[in-house]
Amino acid sequence: MADVVINSFSKKFGSNIVIDRLNLQINNGEFITLLGPSGCGKTTLLRMIAGLESIDGGELFIGGKYYNNLPAQKRHLAMVFQSYALFPHMSVRNNILFGLKIKNVNKAKMQYKLTWVLNLLYLKGLEDRLPREISGGQRQRVALARALVLDPDVLLLDEPLSNLDAALRETAIEELKRIHHQVGKTIIYVTHNQVEALTMSERIALINKGKVEQYDRPKAMYDDPKTLFVAEFIGSPPMNFLEGEIQIQEGFGGVNTSIGFLKLDKDRAAKLEAMSGRKVIAGIRPQNIYFSEHVIRRRHTDTSLDLIVEFVENMGDRSLVIGRTRNSIVMRFMVTRDENITSDQKMPVFIDGRCIHLFDTMSRLNIFNNDGSI
Amino acid sequence: MQGKNMPMATGKKIIWLTGVFLALLIVLGPVYMLVKYSVSDLSSINTGGEPIPLWPYHPTLRMYEFLFTDSQFYRVFMNSVIVSLFTVLLSLLLGVPAAYILGRYQIPGRKLLLLAIISVRMFPDIASVIPIVEFFIKLGLHQTYTGVVLAHTLLALPYVIFIGIGAFESIPHELEQQAWVMGAGKFQTFFKILFPLAIPGLAAAAIYTFLLSWDEFIFSYFLMFGRQEIFTLTLYLNGIKYAEPQNLLAAISVCLSVPVIVFSMMVQRYMVAGISTGSVK
Repeated sequence: MADVVINSFSKKFGSNIVIDRLNLQINNGEFITLLGPSGCGKTTLLRMIAGLESIDGGELFIGGKYYNNLPAQKRHLAMVFQSYALFPHMSVRNNILFGLKIKNVNKAKMQYKLTWVLNLLYLKGLEDRLPREISGGQRQRVALARALVLDPDVLLLDEPLSNLDAALRETAIEELKRIHHQVGKTIIYVTHNQVEALTMSERIALINKGKVEQYDRPKAMYDDPKTLFVAEFIGSPPMNFLEGEIQIQEGFGGVNTSIGFLKLDKDRAAKLEAMSGRKVIAGIRPQNIYFSEHVIRRRHTDTSLDLIVEFVENMGDRSLVIGRTRNSIVMRFMVTRDENITSDQKMPVFIDGRCIHLFDTMSRLNIFNNDGSI
Repeated sequence: MQGKNMPMATGKKIIWLTGVFLALLIVLGPVYMLVKYSVSDLSSINTGGEPIPLWPYHPTLRMYEFLFTDSQFYRVFMNSVIVSLFTVLLSLLLGVPAAYILGRYQIPGRKLLLLAIISVRMFPDIASVIPIVEFFIKLGLHQTYTGVVLAHTLLALPYVIFIGIGAFESIPHELEQQAWVMGAGKFQTFFKILFPLAIPGLAAAAIYTFLLSWDEFIFSYFLMFGRQEIFTLTLYLNGIKYAEPQNLLAAISVCLSVPVIVFSMMVQRYMVAGISTGSVK
C-alpha cells in the first residue's frame, strides 16, 4: 500500500512562503496531478515528497510510514525530472539499470526487469545508445523506464512532457495512461498544462500561492469550480467574467451585470432569495454562450443578448468569436467552424442559466459551494 | 551548424587557405627550425657566411645518439618525468576533492576560501620563493624529490582547483539529485556520476599541471641547488645554456618537448567536448 498523506505542509525560502499549510491525500494506485501556474509551489511540493527539499512544517506519510526525516536515498520513490536528467556518459541500458545496481539486485533479475521495461516502453534496440544519440521522445521514455524498473511505491513526475512537441505529447499522454493502467502505481504528476491534467489524472489538485484551491475529479474542476481562481485557470479559452449584484427580477433569481440581468436555473435561483443584494462575480464559459440561430430549443431561464462581432479566431475545429455588447462589454463565445461570420455582424446569442458560475466578490469563493472544504 | 556543408566560393577558399597556411607557418616555424638544427651537421650551421640551408647538407642523428648514451642527461630527463607525474598525481588528489566541495556546495566562507586559494598565485614566484624555501629547509624537505613535488603542487593547486570548480559546477544538479532519488549515496554519486562527468575539465587541469612542473625553474633551482643527482631538465639546461654546438642544444630541446606532447596526447582523449549533451532536455 502506498497511499500518500500530506498534513499541513509548509516551506519557506527565506521570508518567502512557498508552501502554506497544505493538505493532500492520495490513494494507493491513484494518478493525481498537481496543477498550477509557474511559481505556485507545485514543483517544490513534489521535491519535498521526494526528499530533495526539507519539510519546514507538517508531516508526510507514505503507506502509513512517517517519511519526514527519511533521506531521498531511502524513500523508495522514483522521480522523472522535467529535464529527464539522464546520465550522459552512460548507455540507455546503464541508465535504466543504475538504480538496480546501486541496490545490488542480482544479474538475472536485472536482465528480467530490463527486458520487461524495454518492451513496456518500446525501447528495444536502443540499449547501447548514449542519451545524446536518441530523440527527445525516446529520452523521455528512458527516463520513465529508469523510474519504473525500481518498482517504486510512488512515481513522481515533474512536467515530463513539457519538452516534447505537440504531436509527441499526445502520444506520450496516451502512453502514460496505458502504463499507469498496467503497473497500477501511485503517480503524482506536476504540470502547468491543464490539458494534460484534465486528460490524464483521476484527481487534480489545483495549487495557487502554496495552497490547494480545489482537489477534485477533472470533470468537477471544470463543471463546478469552487473558487474564482479555479474558474480562471481551468478551461480554454478563459471564462467571461462580469461583476454584478444578486437580484430577483420578475420572479426570476439572477445577477444584474453591466450587460443586463442574467437569469439562473430554477434550482439555484431558489437559493438566491436569501442572498439578494450580494456583490458577486459571474463567470460564463465561452462554450456556454450559444448562437441563437442554431439552437431552437430554449429554456425560460436562458438570457438572450445581441452582440456585435469584433473578430473571429479560427481554432481549427471551432472558432472563438470576440464580440461586444451595445455598451461595449467584450464577450467571448464559441461557434462551430462552418459558421460564416464576419466582423461588425450582429449576432443574437443566449446564455445558458445553468452554466453561470457565481463567486463572492470579497472571498472569491463559489457562493453555492463555499463550505470551505477542498 | 547551418552552412557547415555548404560549398565555398573559390576566391573565398583561397583567402581562407592562405590564412591557415600563414598561421601554421608562424606556429610551426620555430618547431621546424628546432628539428632542423637538431639533425644538422656542423658544416650546415657554420657555413662561413653562406646562407644557412633550408635542410642540412648531411642530416644526422648523432646528437640524439650522444644524448641518450649520456648517463647524466638520461638521469635528469627521468627526474623531470618523475617530478612532473607525481606533481600531477598529488595536485589532482588534493585539488579534486576541494574543487568538488567548492563547486557543488554553498559552504560558509566559500568566497574567502576561493580568495585564499587564488592568493597563492597573487605573489610573483620570485617573491614567495625565499620564505617557502626557508620553510622547506626547516622541514628538511630541501634537496629532496618530495620537496620539489610539494613546491610544484603548491603552484599548480590553485589552477587545478579553479579548473575543477568549473568542471563540477557545470554538471546539472538534477543529475546528482536523480542519483540520490535512485538510492545512490554521496560517495556513489561522486564516483559514478560527478567524477566521470568532470573528467574533461580535470584532464585539462592535468595537462596544465604537467606543463607547469616540467617548465618550472625558480622553485626547482632554490630547492635542488647543491644536489646534482636530483636536478630536473630546467636546471640542467641552465648549466649548459652557453654550450656549443647549437645542434646539441636543439636536440635537447626536442627531447624536452616530446614527453609533454606524449602526455598531452594521452590525456586529451578524455577531453571530449559536450560530454553532458543529451542529459538534460
